[in-house]
Amino acid sequence: MSLSELKKDSTGIITSLRGDRRFMSRITSIGLTPGCTVTVIKNEKNRPLLVYSRDTMIALNRSECEMIEVKGGTAK
Amino acid sequence: MTEKGETVIALLGQPNSGKSTLFNALTGMKQHVGNWPGKTVEKKEGNFEHNGTHYLVADLPGTYSLSANSDEEMITRDYIASGKADVVCILADSSQLERSLYMLADYAGITVPCFLVLNMSDVAEEMGKRADAKGIEKKLGIPVVSFSAPDTKSYDKFYDALERAVRGKTAVDASGLFERYEKIDAYGTIKSLIPDNIIRGYSGAWLAAKAVEGDEPVIARIKAAVSDEDKKALDTAISSVDKGVVITGECKFGWIDELLSDTAQKGSSGVSLGRFDRLITHRIWGKPVVVLIVLLGLIASFIPALPLMGIGQLISNIPDPLSEALIGAGCPAFISALLCDVLIRSVSFIVQMLGFVFGVTLVFGMLEEIGVMARISYVFDNTMARFGLQGKSVMPFLISFGCTMGGAAGTRVIDNWGQKVLTIALAWAVPCGAAWAVIPMLSTVFFGAWMPVIIAVILIVMLLHMWLTAKIFGRSLVKAEDRYGMIMELPPYHRPKWGALLRYVFGRTKDTFLRALKVVLVVALAFWLLSYTSTGDITSSILYKVGHFIEPVTKLFGMGWQTFMAFIASSLGKEGALGVLSTIFTGSGTISVGSVVGGAAAENINELLVANVPKPEALALIFAMTFNMPCIVALAATYQETHSVKWTARIALYYTAVALILAGIAYRIGLLIW
Repeated sequence: MSLSELKKDSTGIITSLRGDRRFMSRITSIGLTPGCTVTVIKNEKNRPLLVYSRDTMIALNRSECEMIEVKGGTAK
Repeated sequence: MTEKGETVIALLGQPNSGKSTLFNALTGMKQHVGNWPGKTVEKKEGNFEHNGTHYLVADLPGTYSLSANSDEEMITRDYIASGKADVVCILADSSQLERSLYMLADYAGITVPCFLVLNMSDVAEEMGKRADAKGIEKKLGIPVVSFSAPDTKSYDKFYDALERAVRGKTAVDASGLFERYEKIDAYGTIKSLIPDNIIRGYSGAWLAAKAVEGDEPVIARIKAAVSDEDKKALDTAISSVDKGVVITGECKFGWIDELLSDTAQKGSSGVSLGRFDRLITHRIWGKPVVVLIVLLGLIASFIPALPLMGIGQLISNIPDPLSEALIGAGCPAFISALLCDVLIRSVSFIVQMLGFVFGVTLVFGMLEEIGVMARISYVFDNTMARFGLQGKSVMPFLISFGCTMGGAAGTRVIDNWGQKVLTIALAWAVPCGAAWAVIPMLSTVFFGAWMPVIIAVILIVMLLHMWLTAKIFGRSLVKAEDRYGMIMELPPYHRPKWGALLRYVFGRTKDTFLRALKVVLVVALAFWLLSYTSTGDITSSILYKVGHFIEPVTKLFGMGWQTFMAFIASSLGKEGALGVLSTIFTGSGTISVGSVVGGAAAENINELLVANVPKPEALALIFAMTFNMPCIVALAATYQETHSVKWTARIALYYTAVALILAGIAYRIGLLIW
């Protein structure tokens, strides 16, 4: 499932990233790589997601989150 | 090493790594800001001296990595390859060590000497996080120092690490990272095909990893250096990799994890949002809270601004008695007017405005250091993205309702040059405090109860203007490929470093003063010469003659020579337009810079206006003045912030043209109504 489908306060593990090279480069450099754990802090309809990963609070648009596949965690 | 024998340090770090705080703390007021040659990226350099050695600090653009995705990243790479830097200081945020060491991992393989600064150690300690700088130093083979900008003892450790790096020419021992790269199938093949030393300072391992990532400039450089046969082999190897940047990313973070496994202690702090963060991320309250914060910041800016504004006011009292005294002492009227009306009044005008610039730079610079600006950016990012801007741009827009010069100064917190220029260009469309003092009054005089309608139309036109301006200038200032959705971090809160901040703010205010003085003096002098008459009769001035001559053209925009002159005066300062109209309609006195910036209007100005200006022409004037260039000081501030004569001139001409067109439209509509 994609990161945007994770429920608030649940933690998943990133399995893969999609998108063009620029996007993947940017998302990698902010620390979101396959194998790393992500906790969803805030996930409200039509709003950017807030996730916590590698000691960092990160804000992501929903469309960006759809390019990030995760496993584990609770779905919405 | 520079020609002057200075040792060159390049600062490299991700945004929010505390790079500019360190830069300000090291260099204080000795900074020069410009643009990288031929690029729309800001270049900051500064100097300091320690133990008898002179250093030049180059603040490299804040980037997240060393890939080739943007001008900023290319400049950073090229600068390192140019050999100009004797040592690169890599910054990481101790409170987010794992993620922020990505820059170090991306740097590993570059042979230019470097050292690592674990910044914001105070914030990390508060979170219960600890990093063993000595342990990391042993593993990496480069000097590593725990650093906290507000802690004065930190600097000795910093200088020590710097000196050790320069002396020992220390390079990162990244064998652990390269071992991980070796496990990528194509990496070994690619690396074996790369000849030695094709780009100075970059090792084969670094180049091979970038080729795996599909980095086009690197691949092109390798291809240019190898045989046709090898080129084919290279292409095959590169095309066999899928999502190379993700694979090397995993290697880099794997290496970082290994590095930190026994040298860093993770804090136990939870991952919940603080009260303030809950408020600003709220669906409904987020935006109102941000607007409120900016407005409170604006009010707070007046506190440090007031003393300077007072001094400016005092200076403005000098010209009248001085001019009387000078003339009484037999000084020629021309000289006295030049000194009093041009020089002293210009200085007074600038000093008054400068207080505001000082306040805005200080207050919003502090909000930036604390981490509040990043939150503001988060809240407005998606709205501003429609203009091609960052969320932070909302702040200069709001400040511009008070003062455009303050708005321009506020764009300093925007780290992308193109977005900064575009923000200033859009902020000009926001009617400033002076416009709000003049326009509602004029509207009431001419249109009575219709005033609120005119104000509403002005606000709608403002939004359309901003939208159109973003379309016109946005394309070249913010490239389409640089516009992507929000991927940003919300950094932890930091305590501001007052000393460094104040020194920086004083330095910038001084620069703005000198630059504004130059621009204002030139424009004020030109305007004064054009409007000078020896008889006191306006019709013998050059300005009148030119105005009268081109009246057939200005009539197209709905303005006769009198109102057109008021329009011209309003580009120096909005209040001035009324002073100019007073002078013309009462037929007394000269239009001087004094009357322009002082805005001394005749007591019966209202009756004079209604008697002399027909309604459609008044409507044209109102729109022309509102959307004209805000004032000369705003022009000077725009030049100061953009460092570009070309863009400053472009924006000024564009605004003059649009103001005239809007005036023309308003006039035609006025003719239909009345």
